[in-house]
Amino acid sequence: MINEQLKLSELNGRVKKAISETFTTPTWVIAEISELKMNRNGHCYLVLIEKETNGDAIVAQAKATIWSYTFRMLKPYFESTTGQPLTEGIKVLVSVSVEFHELYGYSLNIRDIDPTYTLGDMARRRKEIISRLQREGVADMNKELTLPLVPQKIAIISSETAAGYQDFIDQLIKNPAGYHFHIKLFPAIMQGNQAETSIIGALEQIYLYENFFDAVVIIRGGGSQADLSCFDNYNLAYFITQFPLPVITGIGHEKDDSIVDLVAHTRLKTPTAVAEFLISGITQFDIRLNELKNRFFQGTDELIKILKTDIEQLTRTVIPIIKEKIVSENSHLNKTIWKFDNRLKLFIQNQSYLLARTERSLKSEFKNFAQIQLRILERSTQALSVNLHRITLTNKELLKRKIQRSEKSVQNILSENLHYLELSKQKAILMDPAKVLARGYSITTYNGRALKDTDRLTINALIETKLYKGNLTSEVKTIHKEV
Amino acid sequence: MNTSKKNTSYKEAITEIEEILKQLENNELDVDELSEKVKRVSQLVTLCKEKLHNTEQEIDKILKEMDTSYQ
Repeated sequence: MINEQLKLSELNGRVKKAISETFTTPTWVIAEISELKMNRNGHCYLVLIEKETNGDAIVAQAKATIWSYTFRMLKPYFESTTGQPLTEGIKVLVSVSVEFHELYGYSLNIRDIDPTYTLGDMARRRKEIISRLQREGVADMNKELTLPLVPQKIAIISSETAAGYQDFIDQLIKNPAGYHFHIKLFPAIMQGNQAETSIIGALEQIYLYENFFDAVVIIRGGGSQADLSCFDNYNLAYFITQFPLPVITGIGHEKDDSIVDLVAHTRLKTPTAVAEFLISGITQFDIRLNELKNRFFQGTDELIKILKTDIEQLTRTVIPIIKEKIVSENSHLNKTIWKFDNRLKLFIQNQSYLLARTERSLKSEFKNFAQIQLRILERSTQALSVNLHRITLTNKELLKRKIQRSEKSVQNILSENLHYLELSKQKAILMDPAKVLARGYSITTYNGRALKDTDRLTINALIETKLYKGNLTSEVKTIHKEV
Repeated sequence: MNTSKKNTSYKEAITEIEEILKQLENNELDVDELSEKVKRVSQLVTLCKEKLHNTEQEIDKILKEMDTSYQ
């Protein structure tokens, strides 16, 4: 049954021949890049696939190569035209020569690439995603949220190491007006195939603090201008539309907006622009606050001025009235004073008249009294002097008589005394001891002293006796004592 | 915390100031109330300015708590 037996190399040789005879010139083919690797020599090895029209099942696959000299030209050309890296996951239109090698088998050698196809494909896919989001009625949901009056508490989704991130933070913190932002970074991978799940993960974390934050900022600074495909992602875009906080993007590209940009609350080109936007939001509030404040204080100033004018006007109208009133009151008062004055004058006149009269009557009264007193005094004086004279006379008479009487009695006393003196003289003559002795009386002495009794005498005592003529001495013989 | 409460103090402050201003500009403000209203407006403006420029302990605390819960 076996007609022909070939060696594998012979078979492969025939296949190679058939292929080279069939594909004499390069062929343009549409495929999706499933794998892409570059070796040390700069050669590029890829796996191209084709998926089902409405699904993910792979229906065709082929290995492919781009030799280094071709790759060095094709890669920048493709990337500069599409703004998209030549990488896995994109659809390309490439010119290939079909090759078969006995040892390595079937492969496609890529000679050329048409970037316009990729561009068209991307645009188509974007359109599809957008129309799907619109169909589902979610495309504008995040835009419908109200950005708070003062966006001050900001959740940031970015890559911590990205240069744009640090610039953004510096710009916010060092804002010239000195507004304080409360910021928190939720790190995420910002490019490539992992970006979708990483960014959604960060959003889920922020969702836990939904009530704390005012807004979410998704920023990606500078770096590669390419690789925005992760932001043209349906799942991520859908998640953003359903997010309860306003999302502000600053993904950093100048060309078309990504789908994330389209569904975001506010789309800005760069992180710098986002920082400016937030600062200007607060600035606007601050300006409004100042404006209201100024308007209020100007208003109160004006009100006070108006009130002042009102008062002044009132004063101007009221003062003349008051003045008039004062004048009228004043004249009334003057009249009263004048009346009173007259009455007072009259009263004073009356009083002074009365006073004068009283004074006069008093004076004459006093005169009379004085005269009477004077007369009484005179009379008294006269009476006194008469009395005195009389008394003097009487006393003189009395004195005279007394003197006369005294003189007489002195004479009497004197003559009596003279008579007595005569008698005494006669008596004295009779009593003279010599005369007594002569009449026969003698004097006996003892021891020189006159003897009147016998008391001192003793028997035989010698006593002397004096006689009128002569003396004798006697001796006592007996003593008769007289009891 | 409630969503409606977010940013309330700013909104309430500016609404109250606008309300007072409106009364003033419509000549509905009683002269006797004037000094009280002037005081109130100054107070609200100061409150807003402080919130705009200064950090708040309570907020810093919440942000720190996030650090420990978010890895």
